[in-house]
Amino acid sequence: MKYLLTALLFVNTAIANDSFLDSVNRMKWKDMDVVWIEDDKFPKFTASIYFQDGALNDAAPGVTQATFDQLTSGTSKENQRELAEFFDFYGASLRTSVTHEYSVFSVQALTKDIGPVMGKVCEIFKDAQYPQNELKSHISRAKSGLKNLVTSHAALADRVYRSVSLEGTAYAAPVEGTLKSLDMITPALLKTRLEGLNKTRKVLYLAGPSDVKDIRNVIEKNCNWSNETKMVPVEMKKPAQQSALYLVEVPNANQAQIRIGRYMTSREFEGKHDQFQFMASFLGGGFTSKLVQELRVKRGLTYSAGAYVSMQRDYGRAGIMTFSKNETTSEAIAIIRNVFSDVSAGRFEDKEFVHQKNHQIGGYAFSFEETNALLGQIMLYDHQNRDLAELVNFPKTIEKLSKAELASSNLEVFPWDRQTIVVVGDKSLVKSLSRIRPVRILKYEDYL
Amino acid sequence: MKFLLSLLLLPLLINGCSSVKKDKNLADSINLDVEELKLENGMTALIVNNPKLPIFSLYFFYKVGGKNEVPGITGASHFLEHMMFKGAKKFGKNTLDFIIEGSGGSTNAYTTNDQTVYYENLPSKELSMILDIEADRMENLALDPDDFNKERAVVLEERKMRYENSPRGQLYQELMQNFFAGTPYGRSVIGEIPDLKSVTREQIHAYFKKFYAPNNVTLVLVGDVKTVEAKKLIKEKFEKIPSSPTVAQEHASLTEEQFKVTFKESKVVKKKGESPNPIFMMAYPTYKVGHPKGYAIDILSSILGSGKSSSLINEYILINRPVATSMYAAHQQLEKAGLFFIGGELVRGVKIDDFRKDLQKKLLSYCETEITPRNIQKIKNNYLVDLYGGLDTNAGLAQFLGDRQLLFGDWRMYKKELELYEKVSVEEVKSMCLETFGKESVFVSVWNQHK
Repeated sequence: MKYLLTALLFVNTAIANDSFLDSVNRMKWKDMDVVWIEDDKFPKFTASIYFQDGALNDAAPGVTQATFDQLTSGTSKENQRELAEFFDFYGASLRTSVTHEYSVFSVQALTKDIGPVMGKVCEIFKDAQYPQNELKSHISRAKSGLKNLVTSHAALADRVYRSVSLEGTAYAAPVEGTLKSLDMITPALLKTRLEGLNKTRKVLYLAGPSDVKDIRNVIEKNCNWSNETKMVPVEMKKPAQQSALYLVEVPNANQAQIRIGRYMTSREFEGKHDQFQFMASFLGGGFTSKLVQELRVKRGLTYSAGAYVSMQRDYGRAGIMTFSKNETTSEAIAIIRNVFSDVSAGRFEDKEFVHQKNHQIGGYAFSFEETNALLGQIMLYDHQNRDLAELVNFPKTIEKLSKAELASSNLEVFPWDRQTIVVVGDKSLVKSLSRIRPVRILKYEDYL
Repeated sequence: MKFLLSLLLLPLLINGCSSVKKDKNLADSINLDVEELKLENGMTALIVNNPKLPIFSLYFFYKVGGKNEVPGITGASHFLEHMMFKGAKKFGKNTLDFIIEGSGGSTNAYTTNDQTVYYENLPSKELSMILDIEADRMENLALDPDDFNKERAVVLEERKMRYENSPRGQLYQELMQNFFAGTPYGRSVIGEIPDLKSVTREQIHAYFKKFYAPNNVTLVLVGDVKTVEAKKLIKEKFEKIPSSPTVAQEHASLTEEQFKVTFKESKVVKKKGESPNPIFMMAYPTYKVGHPKGYAIDILSSILGSGKSSSLINEYILINRPVATSMYAAHQQLEKAGLFFIGGELVRGVKIDDFRKDLQKKLLSYCETEITPRNIQKIKNNYLVDLYGGLDTNAGLAQFLGDRQLLFGDWRMYKKELELYEKVSVEEVKSMCLETFGKESVFVSVWNQHK
């Protein structure tokens, strides 16, 4: 009985008014900040540990990612197989997410197993040994996977786009590392990195029934965690190259992946997170968005098109993702340019604008359906030092937006002369792409 | 006001809602409270009230997919999946997406060998509107000729993305075509290119009239809806739509005999594709969905290929000199036949034929070494966690119920399934292991070094 009551109360408060903030329980366990959202729907829990430290502190690209990935490769007491067997037996899933600015280690399992599972998590953070053989095997597999990246043109396009659009900044290197940097990773390097992560500022985000709080003792006694170091913000430098068009040649492709966009700074985002989000959704968020209508519905040039504006704390990126057959790749890019131009000039109909508002406001309740997704959203807000009241006020913020603000957002984020364009496709595309801008040809192998 | 009303209704809602018990075995882990409605035209509707948020998910499971197509119109179910969003009589050309997204909702669909599923997630106040839209397109789909040709181009682009430019897509397609050669499951669900280029509006319309009728669909509604009102609305919108007089006959005409795999000897297929590392899939015949032996085979597949402690991962990946970068095992049970998959990506330099022979030998040896009480208990523990995860959202629960209603004819089958999983013994899994890997198989690899 109680379970449903809690859920219902939460929802009502969450959506109706800012007492949602009261349902986000913030606590302090020794010097660790803890955020708990009660979720009694099922007897399972999620514990996500946020580390205020990410790939920006890599001694070589891929080190932080490998430090987390190889946590279960062995301790002084147990080898990789024994650790895998332990977590699998409990049905515990361990996930890692490393970004440039922060990292997250998440555990999900049944609530009844929270003691042993979290106890073992503490053990691996305290005593991971990174055995040489396991690490060698891991690096060999990671390199092999990278060499095969050409099997996914979309993933390859994303990787090259990051590299060229952020060239010259600390954010250009892929968090998972490169063929070259992976060879530099040693057990000693990973142990040093883990020591650093154990000392960095952490926040524990918990979701589950009230008994999940019982892990406090386990964490305080068994995890070797402190909050001694804080990450220093990195000033976003201007990337080396903007407004270039790159063709990444891949063999025998009859379709081209297209990425268009640019880096963004935290200053550009100040007070405009929701406004930019609205603009991105207007351009490429759903079947009725401007780009899907223009590219797919009116012309049949693509199967999908999307737009995003995303921000960590000190840097962000904006982009368009789509694809088209070789013969129409240039046409698709020209249409995207026209859409930017039209929206920036306010050349869109009232009904399109109102439609997008209704879409965003009407869909607001869905942000609260999955507790884990909500937990992730709260984590991002915390990382960005944003007030959760912004989340509560989202519908009101969107309601107040004007057409002029949509146009100006588009102009600020997507000015055509500052966009980096990456096309992954057949070399024959060079001729048609040259009509847009001078084309710089890249070998995909150089970006692995 | 609506929120306040919800609070006042709380005691009633609790009694009517699905519940979860703690610390029980698989079979006792969930109890779903589902309202069932059967219309006079044969349509089935399942409703679950979940007042947690003022939203709902609505799913339509049409019993039509790749297996119902014939040469010349391969890809028809998937093509229709696209055309169903292009408008009908009451909700005209290209209005459907605008109405749904303009209400804050989302919509999509997917097509498989056996079914095509359309779904929407919407705020609760839009229930009547979306039922109206769904009824309109079931009864009066427009199939506008201009839209038809534009969407043909979109489908061809989707095909390029999923198969022609994706070695993994090519691998799966090649495996299915070889494994089920000569059976309806051997046809491409997205369609063969010549068929997609030549299929006419009239052919698609005839296919639509045959299969997209109330007696061939299950509606599943989960969320903040009032059951009595929802039932009334469903009756009002759908009961007037005539059933298909031929659909039962169409289904009856697909006998299990037609889906029996025909290969008598193991097949090895090497396809040239743009993958620098060899990627492979190997498949053995099993049983159709719902077959009692299938549950032990499910557990076998999880022991071999799910999680870092699984047999294949330990054998080929977590070793000093890895042979593969990824390995997986899965048991895919279709309505008329089943297959046990093993797949993965090999490290460059590994000889594919040597690997295949070694894998086949190891699989048989696993029947003796890997099927232990602890491993079986481990998989059951994992199933429980996965079960909870899958039912976390309205959409997840709708999917769970719809699948069972469509494939077994009864959503309550989940109870029986969980009981059967709970009862699976070491001996049964061992027996299924020996039986499965004692059969002939199909092994397909895609690599850029193949000729």
